[in-house]
Formats: sequence, C-alpha cells, structure tokens
Amino acid sequence: MGEKRILLKNVGVIDPGCIDDAIRAGGYEGLKKALKMEPAMVIGELTEAGLRGRGGAGFSTGMKQKFTSESCLKCPQRYVVVNADEGEPGTFKDRVIMEQDPHLYLEGTIIAAYAIQATKGFIYIRGEYHESIRKTEKAIKDARKKGFLGKNIMGSGFDFDVGIKLGAGSYLCGEELTMLESLEGKRGHPRIKPPFPAEKGVFGMPTLVNNVETLANLPRIIAHGKDWYRKLGTERSPGTKIFTISGQVAKPGYYELPMGVTLQELIDLAGGMRDGKAFKAALLGGAAGTFVDATMLSERMTYDNLREKGATLGSGAVIVMAEGDAVLDILHNCLRFFKHESCGKCVPCRVGTTQLVKKADQLRNGQPGKAALLKQMVREAEIMASTSLCPLGQSPVLPLESFARYFKEVK
Amino acid sequence: MSIEEIIKQFEPVQHNLLNILHALQDRHPQNCLTEQALDETARYLKLTKSSVYGVAKYYTMFSLEPRGRYIIRLCVSPVCELLKANQIMAVLEKNLGIRAGETTSDGLFTLELSECLGQCQEAPSMMVNNEVYNGLGEEEVQRVLVRMRRRKKK
Amino acid sequence: MSKLVNLTIDDKKISAPEGANLLQVAKDNGMAIPHLCYHKKLSPTGACRLCIVKIKGQRGLLASCAVQVSEGMEVTAFDDELEEARKYLLDYLLCEHDESYDGSHPDEFRELIFRYGLDKKENRLFPSIWKELGYPKDESSPVLSYDAAKCIKCFRCIKACDEVQGKNVLSFTNRGIISYIVGGFDKWGESECDGCGECIQLCPTGAIVEKPHRSEIKIENGICRVRTTCPYCGVGCQLELMVRNGKIVRSNGVEGVSPNDGRLCVKGRFGYDYVQHPDRLTTPLIKKDGKFVEASWDEALDLVARKFTEIKETYGRKALAGYASAKTTNEDNYLFMKLVRTVFGNNNVDYCTRLCHASTVTAMLRSLGDGAGSNSIEDYAHSDCMLVTGNNMIETHPVTATYVKYAVQRHGSKIIIIDPRWTPLVKDAHIWLQPRLGTDVALLNGMIRVIISEGLIKKDFIEKRVDGGMKAFESLKALAEKYTPEYVEEVTGVAAPLMEEAARIYAGAERPLIATGMGCSQQVTGTHNVFCLINMMLITGQIGRPGAGLNPPRGQNNVQGVSDVGASPFTYPGYISVEDAENRRRVAGIWGLPFGELDGEKGLSTVEIMQAAYEREIRGMYIMGENPMLTDPNLNHTEEAIKKLEFLVVQDIFHTETTPFADVILPATAFAESEGTYVNSDRRVLRVRKAVDPPGQARQDWEIIAEIAKRMGKPLGNYQHESDIWDEIAQTAPIFAGISYDRLEYHGIQWPCPAKGHPGTATLFEERFNTPNGLGKLHPVEYAGQSEKADKDYPFILNTGRILYQYHSSTMSRRNKSLTDFANEAYVLMHPGDALKYGFSDGQKVHIASRRGEISNIRVQISDGVLQGELFMPFHYSEAPVNRLTRDELDPYSKIAPFKLSAVRVGR
Ligand SMILES: Cc1cc2nc3c(=O)[nH]c(=O)nc-3n(C[C@H](O)[C@H](O)[C@H](O)COP(=O)(O)O)c2cc1C
Ligand code: SF4
Ligand code: SF4
Ligand code: SF4
Ligand code: FES
Ligand code: FES
Repeated sequence: MGEKRILLKNVGVIDPGCIDDAIRAGGYEGLKKALKMEPAMVIGELTEAGLRGRGGAGFSTGMKQKFTSESCLKCPQRYVVVNADEGEPGTFKDRVIMEQDPHLYLEGTIIAAYAIQATKGFIYIRGEYHESIRKTEKAIKDARKKGFLGKNIMGSGFDFDVGIKLGAGSYLCGEELTMLESLEGKRGHPRIKPPFPAEKGVFGMPTLVNNVETLANLPRIIAHGKDWYRKLGTERSPGTKIFTISGQVAKPGYYELPMGVTLQELIDLAGGMRDGKAFKAALLGGAAGTFVDATMLSERMTYDNLREKGATLGSGAVIVMAEGDAVLDILHNCLRFFKHESCGKCVPCRVGTTQLVKKADQLRNGQPGKAALLKQMVREAEIMASTSLCPLGQSPVLPLESFARYFKEVK
Repeated sequence: MSIEEIIKQFEPVQHNLLNILHALQDRHPQNCLTEQALDETARYLKLTKSSVYGVAKYYTMFSLEPRGRYIIRLCVSPVCELLKANQIMAVLEKNLGIRAGETTSDGLFTLELSECLGQCQEAPSMMVNNEVYNGLGEEEVQRVLVRMRRRKKK
Repeated sequence: MSKLVNLTIDDKKISAPEGANLLQVAKDNGMAIPHLCYHKKLSPTGACRLCIVKIKGQRGLLASCAVQVSEGMEVTAFDDELEEARKYLLDYLLCEHDESYDGSHPDEFRELIFRYGLDKKENRLFPSIWKELGYPKDESSPVLSYDAAKCIKCFRCIKACDEVQGKNVLSFTNRGIISYIVGGFDKWGESECDGCGECIQLCPTGAIVEKPHRSEIKIENGICRVRTTCPYCGVGCQLELMVRNGKIVRSNGVEGVSPNDGRLCVKGRFGYDYVQHPDRLTTPLIKKDGKFVEASWDEALDLVARKFTEIKETYGRKALAGYASAKTTNEDNYLFMKLVRTVFGNNNVDYCTRLCHASTVTAMLRSLGDGAGSNSIEDYAHSDCMLVTGNNMIETHPVTATYVKYAVQRHGSKIIIIDPRWTPLVKDAHIWLQPRLGTDVALLNGMIRVIISEGLIKKDFIEKRVDGGMKAFESLKALAEKYTPEYVEEVTGVAAPLMEEAARIYAGAERPLIATGMGCSQQVTGTHNVFCLINMMLITGQIGRPGAGLNPPRGQNNVQGVSDVGASPFTYPGYISVEDAENRRRVAGIWGLPFGELDGEKGLSTVEIMQAAYEREIRGMYIMGENPMLTDPNLNHTEEAIKKLEFLVVQDIFHTETTPFADVILPATAFAESEGTYVNSDRRVLRVRKAVDPPGQARQDWEIIAEIAKRMGKPLGNYQHESDIWDEIAQTAPIFAGISYDRLEYHGIQWPCPAKGHPGTATLFEERFNTPNGLGKLHPVEYAGQSEKADKDYPFILNTGRILYQYHSSTMSRRNKSLTDFANEAYVLMHPGDALKYGFSDGQKVHIASRRGEISNIRVQISDGVLQGELFMPFHYSEAPVNRLTRDELDPYSKIAPFKLSAVRVGR
C-alpha cells in the first residue's frame, strides 16, 4: 500500500510562509464553503464523515463539537483550543503540519470555531517547537490580513480570532484538562473530570479541544464532502492517519496512510529495517503506548482493531526495535519518562511512578530471578491505572503489561 | 529592554503568565528568571508571589538559576536512547567539561536533558537555544560547539 | 432546598439532596470512607484517591469526593478490591512521609495508617524513600512551621488560603514526588501570608503547625478545650481554646457555626497570649502620695464607694460619670449601666462607640429605626454588589472580608470601594473611587443624582416604604440637582464616569450590601455621610431582603452589645429612649426601684464627659476597660480634663496610658477568664466562656461593679451567675426577650428575638422599618466643605486607622509575640510625589504637628496608596499617639470625633 496524502498534499509543494501560495493550492476553500452552511450542518457533515480525534483518544470529532455547541447556552463565550503540545515520544506529525502547511490547521480551527460559534481561540504550542510557533504566528498574521480571522470573516458576519499560548516543558499539559489550567497561567495539574471541556473549559466556558491533525482534516472534509472522505480508511476509522515511524527503520519519518494499514506495510514503506536487521519489537503510540512483537506485524492499525488486540494506536507513533536492542531499556525509559512528567497531584502516580523506576532499575541490573519483580510491577501499575486521577498515571500499565506479555528478557 | 518594558507588552491577565515568563527568560542574558522578574510579573498580573513562582518551578523550560548563553537540550527519550543518545551525552560532557544540569565556567553553555523533542525521524537530537540539531554523531556535535564558541567571539 | 434522591451505599438505603457530594453524604450517614484531601469547606481535589468507590453502571473506580449523588445510584464503598487499592495508596503515601509524631497536632493520616494496619512495618510493601527526596522545612514564618516531609500534598492548605480566606498565598513548587508547598518565593515569612492560620487548621497531617507552645501540647492527653468568642473585633468568631495546666496553648476556629465557620484571623488565632502576660494587673492598687500601692479588695472597694458617695453628696448626682467597655461582656456592661443610672443617679454612661460608629448608629436610628447592621455576615458571600465605604475590612474585619472575597471569586460579584486610601481589598475591587478626604457627601449626592437622572430609582419602594413617599423624594431630587458629575469631580477628584458606573452598578444590583466603616463615620459630617448612603439605599429599594442592606462592621468584640444593653447616655436597654417615661417606669419595676429615682434627662456622651470634666462639672469617674488617654481625640485636652478629676477609678487588665491618672486601679478578668455574652456586628448574641483562672486576685467586672454598688448602699440585685444577669437583660430589652443561655449553647442568636420560640432575625426591615410609623426616612443633606483644610502652615491632611496585627490601643495585641513579630512600629504613609516635593525619604524619622499637638520619631513609609497631600498613620502605638493631633470638634448629631481628618505639617 502506498502513501495517500490528503492532509500533507501541499508539503514540499507550497511555501508554508506564503498565504497566497496556500490559497492557490486550495487553502481556505473549505472555510469558504463552511461559512455558507449552517453551523449545525458543518457539525453534521463532520459527524457523518466519521472523523475521530487524532490526539490519541479517537473520540468522534463531530460529536464533540455537538456537545460543545449545545452546552451552557447562557455562557457569554465559547472557545476553541488547539492542542499543539505534541509531546508523546516518537510523535511529530503535528509539527510537520505546523511547519509545512500551517494554514491547513488554522483553516480547520476557524471551521471548528464556526461550527460551535466560538469567537475566540487559543493555540497551545509546546515551547520547544520554535519553528512551529514562528510559522503559526506568521500564518495568523497573514490570515488576519486576508480577512480569514477577525471581524466578519469573509463577509459572513462571523467573528473569530486566535492567540498563541506557549507550553514550557510539560508532557502532561497535552492532556486537555491540564492544558486548560496551563493555558490560564497555572501549574499543570489536571482538573477533575467531569466536567469535560465541552461543559467547562477555559475560564469556565464551553471549550472545544482538538488536536492539530484532527483540525487539519476539517478543510478537506468540508471541501470534498463526507462521502469522499468515507471512501478512505475503514468503516469505523475513516480517513487517513499520519504515522510517525522511527527507530530501526531505513527511512524513518512521517507517512500519511489510509487507516487500516498493517505494521508490516508501514515498515516496508519506511524502507524496511535499518541495515537489514531483524524486527524485534515496536512501541505503538509512544510512551503511553504498547509494545508488540513480530506476531502483530500483520494486524490492521485502526483504533478499534488494535484495542481489541490489547494494543494502542494513540498518536500514531511507531518506534521500531531490532534484534540486539534491549526492549527493557526502552521500557525503563518510558517509566523514567512518566516519573519525570508526573505532576505530583495524585498519590498513586506521584509515588507509583517513582517506585516503578526503582524497581525497573533493579530489573536492568541483569541478574536472574526478576520475573516475580516484573509481575509485582505490573500489579502496581494496575493499581495506579485504576486509582490515578488522570490518564498519565493510568498509562504506565500499557508499556509494562505489554512488555511482560511479549518479551521474556526478564527471567 | 527592562523587565517592565517586556512585561508591559502583554495584557495584564493571568493567562499570559507563561508567555510573559518565556519573554523574560529569553531576553535575560543568562537565560533565567530572576526574583525581581517574578516579583514584577506577580504585581503586574495581580497574583501572589507563589502563584508565579509555582508556575516557574513547574515547567522544565524555566530556570531560576542563571544559565549559559547557550542551552543545550539533549533528548533522552526512547527513540534517541535507542539510537545512542548516551554516546552523544558522553561527547558533550567531555567537550564541555560539565555534567547535565551544569553550566560551563565561561558562562557559555548549560547542558540539560530533555524529553522527546519531536525530531525522532533523525534521532538522536538536541536543541541549542531555539535551533534543532538532528542525526547527531560525534563530529556533528563538535562542529556545533565550535560554531557556537566562534559566534561568541563576534 | 433541592429535591431528595434515593441511593444505596453498600446496600444501605440513603436519601440525600440531589447533587450533594457523595463522600459527604456517606460521611453524614456514618460510613467511614477513608479520605484525606477532601474537606467540606473546599472544592474537591481528587488528590489522595482514598475515597474511591464503585458505582453501578460506571466504569472503574471513582473518587467519591468528586461525585454528585443522583437518583437510584448504587454505590459500593467497601469491598476487597477497594480496600486493597486503599492500602496501596496509604502505603505509597507512607513511603514518602516522615512518620515521626510529636503529638502536638491532630493527624488524620496517622489514624488511617493504624486503621489499615500499616503501622506494622511487615505489612508494608514499599521501603521508605522520603529521606532521599530532600524535603525542606520552612521556619521563616513567625507563627507557623512547615515540614515538607510530613506533607501529603493534599492541596488543603492551598485551597484553605485561596478558597476560604481569599488570599491564595500558597502554591506547590517543583513537580512530581519532589513537589512541596511554598509561600512566596519558597520563603513563607516573606510571602503575603498574614498568619490567619486557616491552612494550619485544615492541614490533615500537621505538616503545618503553629509555632507558639508547640512543645507543650500533647493532643491526646491533658488538653482541655473550651468554646468561646474571640475578644478582638466585632465579627465575633467562635474559638476553641486549648488549655493545658491552666494556660492557653492554642486557639482554633470552630467549624460549622456562624459567623466564622472555622475561619479566624491572625489576632483570633495567635492573639491570646496577652491573657497570660506577666504585665497583667493582679491586685487592686491605690494611689498614695503619687504612687500605686497594692491593696486588698475591701480596702479598694470601700475607698471607691466612699469617694463616689462623697462626690455625689458634695456636687450632686450629675457630678459622676462612667465609661463602659466595648471589650467586656453584656452582663458586665449591663450592670455598669445599671450602676450609673441607679447608684450614681444620672445617665452619664457612654463608651468608645462614640468614637467609632455613633454617627452611623445615629443616622440609622433616625432613618431606619435601628442602629445595627441589617444583614448577616454570611450574606456577603451571596451578595452581587458590595459598596465598601471607608472600610479597610481586610485588616479590620478579616473574617467578614473572606466572605466578600468569596463572593467575588465564586460569583463574580462586584466590589465598589469608596476610600481616599488604598486598602488591600482594592485588589479585588471592580471600581475604586478615591475621593479627597471629607468630600463623601458630595460624592454620594453625585451618585444619587446619577441614579435619579437615569431613572434607576424604585418608585414603588419609595411610595410604600419611605416616609412622605414621592414627595419626600422630590426634595432629595431637588437637592441632588446641583451635584452634577462635573461638579462632583471637581470637589472630590473622582472621575465622573467611574462615579457614574458605580452608581449604576449599585442601583441595578440584585443583592447589594453597603459596608460602611470608620472612614465614613469618624468625620464631623459622619452622620451626614451615612444619611447620604441611606438616601441612596432607600430610593433604590436596596434594603429589607437577605443580601441587601446597610452594615457597619463593629470595631470591637462587644461594641454592639454595650449599646444593646443600654450603656448609653441616650437609650435604655433595647434602644428605648432615656426620655421615654413609660419605659422607665417599666424598668423601674423590674429593678424594684421607685420610678422617680431614674433620671429622665439624657446624659453626657464620651467626649462631652471629658469636656465636662475639664469644666469641673464632672468630678468623679469610673472607667471600665477603656483607654481614653490613647483613643480619645485631642489627647492633650483629654489629659488636662482627666487631671482635673477629683477621683478616677480605672478597671482594666493592664496598666494603660490612662491608669497613671487613676486614684484606684481595679484588676479585672480577660475574656478567657470570664463568663457571659457578646453581641457581634450582625446582632448575634454569642457565649463567652471561662477557660482559665484569672491571675492573682483579678475579678470579673460585673462582680466588682456589684460590690461597689453594694458598698454605696444600693445593691444592684442578687446575681449568682452571669445567666441571672442575662435573664434580667432579656426582661428589660425587648429585642432580647426570647434569648436565654440554654439557647446559646451551640449557636448564637440574632436579635430581635422577641419570644422564646423565635429563631432570631437574620435580616432587618423586611416588612417595616423600626421607626414609629414603620417608614424609612430620607434626610437630604448638603455638602459643607472639608471641615479642616490644609493650608500653608499645615499642608497635609492626616488620616488615621487600624492595621491587621494590632488592635485598638494595642494593650492586648502588643502583648503577643506572634502579633508584634508581624508589625510593631508606627509609620506614616506618604505619597511619593510629596516625598519628592518636601524631600523625605523612605524610612526617615519625622515629627508631625497639628494645631493641637505634635508627635515625633515617626518612620516615613513612601506609598502610592495615599493621595498626594494626604497622610495615613495607624493609631495603635502609644509611642506615636496620633490622637495628640486629632480634633475634638464633634459631629453635631452623634458627637463623634473627626479622627479621619486633621491638617498637619511634617518636619525633620
Ligand atoms: C498525558 C497526555 C498527553 C497528551 N498529549 C497530547 C498531545 O500532545 N497532543 C494532543 O493532541 N493530544 C494529547 N493528549 C490527548 C488530549 O487529552 C485530548 O484527548 C486531545 O487533545 C483531544 O483532541 P482530538 O479529539 O482532536 O484528538 C494527551 C493526553 C494525555 C493523557
Ligand atoms: S495521574 Fe499523575 S499526572 Fe495525573 S494527576 Fe495524578 S500525579 Fe498528576
Ligand atoms: S496562615 Fe493564612 S494567609 Fe498564611 S498561608 Fe496559611 S491560610 Fe494563607
Ligand atoms: S501542608 Fe498539610 S494541607 Fe498542605 S498539602 Fe501538605 S498535608 Fe496537605
Ligand atoms: S525521542 Fe528524541 S526526539 Fe523524539
Ligand atoms: S478525598 Fe477524594 S480523592 Fe482525596
């Protein structure tokens, strides 16, 4: 199976800093069309297109818009927040969009705002993404000049503007409720759920939080219609997905593919294994993801199929390991990552991640007789998963349990 | 620019806090947030001291300690680890004569560890201030350091 | 009331209000779901995760503290899986925790450790790691210490400070397992913390503990706890004193009762040490040859009785007078008043209210018929607009201010401040109007004009409830006509659009409260200022419902009660005029006296008494718990007057600036040694209870008073206990008729409470005003110009006031190390522009002079919190007696003195 670029079709074709170039390539066509539709029709179109959030959770984008547009009708303000905090290890799809075609997701943002009738938005970009920040700043400025942002957008009577908010080094702030705290100028501690952002988001107002890639889909769906979109991908996971494949493959990078490719196909597309090594393992979805071994190479990568097989699609990160690599080291790295990123608010994650790293240190010292230790770690991670306040503390069980399932490095 | 001038570019609302701290830190010759900067920010945003301090201490990109002119952030997340970030680390430590978290005595470099920089297609990766360096090997690292040192002389 | 829903928790059937917090519901029904981060005063946090439960139909485990109950909910609170998870969580917490325990504080975490058997090391899974984590201790605060190794990171302190006290001083630093609590830049002592101790009270583990007496406290044994009422300001916070070996060692707020629901300010929490201070007066003292010598009670009391009797016989019954005390109980003051009226035989009894809110009370009595706050303190939490005039409430009524801040933070209520000086509440204010000192009448008339011209009046309210209806209104309208925004701006310096917006917000609010303070009342035009406020309130109909009205927070613990029980030259108990013969007859009956013995002529007020002493019309005085030599205006004059007295008795707990002038000093009890009641600012009668024995021979005030009366041959009655006195108060003052001690056991009751079954009155004037015809009365008043103007010789206008850490003449507050550690030095605030113009620098010592006197060695504090041309000084410090500068030119109606405005000059 070959690449199918619908989101990334302009990458390398247009000058990302030039709005006219983007417009020539069909930019803002989707917005133009959307502004002629009723907001509810836009939502309907997206719902029926079957688009699911690309931030990791895979929730229906149209449904989320519907909830947000219908909640708290008395509230004076609604917001769109773009989740551009991309921090999941192994993931860099949003960066590609922001650096190579920033108008695409900006257009998607404006469409989303129109759909829920939000007049203000924020793009929360991680502080390390300097280039993405610069490109987005420029895109916003140019879009304002062209009348795609600001008052009375393209004569439609609809007002909307966005500002950029910078992250400053916290993976957890990519989690939507934590992002809202951070965006308000606070420490990155998650809020209790419910209420969801759709009910009480930024400044307590209904807020739509979407991932960059998710939003990049909107102009395409609106421009070409749901039926066109549904022809791509699978029944329950329509459209394409940008996979970022890294590690021991010959041509690591980003690949946009219809949903439902297999892991093997993806590796092949990435030039096969680096230096002809043998495949040993892949970590799907980043640190908050799952390890798989060769038995999974032919599984279709959709949200639902992977979930059924005890694996995850997550952000679309695929980290490939070869014979000779110590999967245990990568597991250790993931656990260390969670400890480093735990905000410290809730007990099981704050202490649990610390204790897991201590135990992982012992696993790594290589002596035998550690199988029981690994088992105990899985048990602890399960407790953490069932008791932690936010998904971060619920995550370590994913790499841990999958590692224990597939790899017998620990004896 | 004085602290006050930097702060006043922003509207005095709490949700500008992170952006303000970035701006203050970027314009400080030692890439850090001074107590005075935090204090003026707190007053400008009508926040208590700890609300600003707590934020400055939460996010890893902010530092209250003076740092070098160049901050090297070496990625130690899984892909980079897989592709031998530890060797790059050794090169950096040797060349700079410091360990992670430290600043060279000439005040030029601070070496920090970072989580995934989103550059995994060409791991291992590092950033030097706002610039990204990918596909690092020993030579590449040496070259970057030489360039930075030369830049300082200019 | 929201509707009730039915749910089950572990098969137990429960009904609870819909939407109630599930954990709280379980708690209320006796189910001990473990929890640490939840507290019912705080929003749920979800940090400790111990309160997890299962709910049928929902996935996974849920933190019950974050669940709202709904109909048909089926909850599992205890099963093996939940208990195992909880054990894990506690085990986790334990490994990052220093378990050592010094017994000086309650520890909820420790209780759970025992409950889950984790006190035994063999039951634990995780090795202790807290020592590796580098947790610091912060000892920099003068009143508390924080130990990060004892902290379970539950957020309760942060939220206590933020959500309950509205200060948000605390935060975490770092993240993950090495995070811990910080104040300021990781130095509590240099943060904005003002020592209220809410964080201490809500900390579940003792990571934050009070410093004073910590080593003496063993919570589990030998501690006696006594509930009483705070002796400082007029909020009337309910305290629980901890007593060990006859000494007070800690003070906590009582949770769950009004008015404070556990809140305290720094004085209430840390200001008790004066009670056990070595300076306490312990025996009666008689001046002999200019020196005080110790005397027995008999000796002293006989002397007092003899002297008073002599004066009365020589100069007539009008030659005696008394100052009652806003610090002592109702019972004490009632007997004091009774002594003046029945033994002295006149009505010359007054007290410091004359110096603070007499103008407010006078205006309110004339317009509304009652001189007390119309609403409950808790109403502030639900008000949507608060007009705060001349009222530095964060410092003077800190606990009231917590409700005000709550309303702003929770409901976006708007605060409008009228104050020439910056106060900390300005930070939370929507609008701050900063008029020149003494120009309030112009400003308020300006607002009234805006309200009228924009049609924001409530016509039906005026017609139904204002005396004279629209006709009376027309005369106010005519008067207001000339207060155009331009004119008002010129007079007051307040920008017209701001003033206009303030008027609109107030008039348009649903539940606006006016909180008026000393800044409004302590002026020559004090009564006029309050008349203006009342005029504005009446024409907009903003009174007479919960959340709407006029409230003067009272300065001292019992300022309200002393007036209520009749220690006033003008009124008998329950605000019945001295001149009301019918009432005198009734009271004479209760007192068992011939009607003719009760003087029907008004007595002299506080400052008038001093003036009469100066004129030698008053020859003998009895001062109970007041310190006129620091707090009266124009002190130099007061001193001369007091020296002219033939005989002065001062009854107090310490030597004061006044005691040197006494002939006899009588040692009285402090609050913690007394039984009785106070009445707070929202008319709530609150119990005061004895916690410790008085030092030496000190006796409670009422006992001393009764003795003097007896020895003057006119016993006041046969009282065995304070409650006997109270019962007599309830008989004489109809507003208290339904109140008795047994009803006050747990909660205070707000007067009027006319009958036994009556619940008390939270809101005044709902149906009618308390005036004879039941209608409110407008009093249109003109602006008359500043009463003393700055000129070439005296170029500054000096304002005076209070600060948080000191209280009144500071005889009490300054005898607490905890309080003096925060603030112990006088200063004068000066605008930077003036400092530049006259060449003063921050920290420089200056002297300040007025036409009446001068003081020196005052430290300049440069601050843009005052206007140019104006100064501010706290009045608490005896070494900087600012009242040597103030005037005793009185408000003609209320006789209040203008402490807030004196022309002065500043010199090196
Ligand atoms: C620890 C954590 C980190 C996350 N990081 C990101 C992220 O970097 N970018 C992102 O889009 N979503 C991230 N998410 C998912 C968001 O919470 C949220 O689901 C997403 O922004 C929703 O957008 P979507 O519906 O468009 O996918 C993260 C979630 C968790 C729990
Ligand atoms: S699970 Fe971890 S990251 Fe999430 S709230 Fe708890 S401590 Fe913070
Ligand atoms: S003592 Fe009061 S002001 Fe100080 S930190 Fe605690 S709650 Fe806040
Ligand atoms: S200091 Fe006390 S209240 Fe504050 S987080 Fe720690 S344990 Fe909780
Ligand atoms: S893991 Fe290093 S850049 Fe992604
Ligand atoms: S009490 Fe519910 S999480 Fe702590």
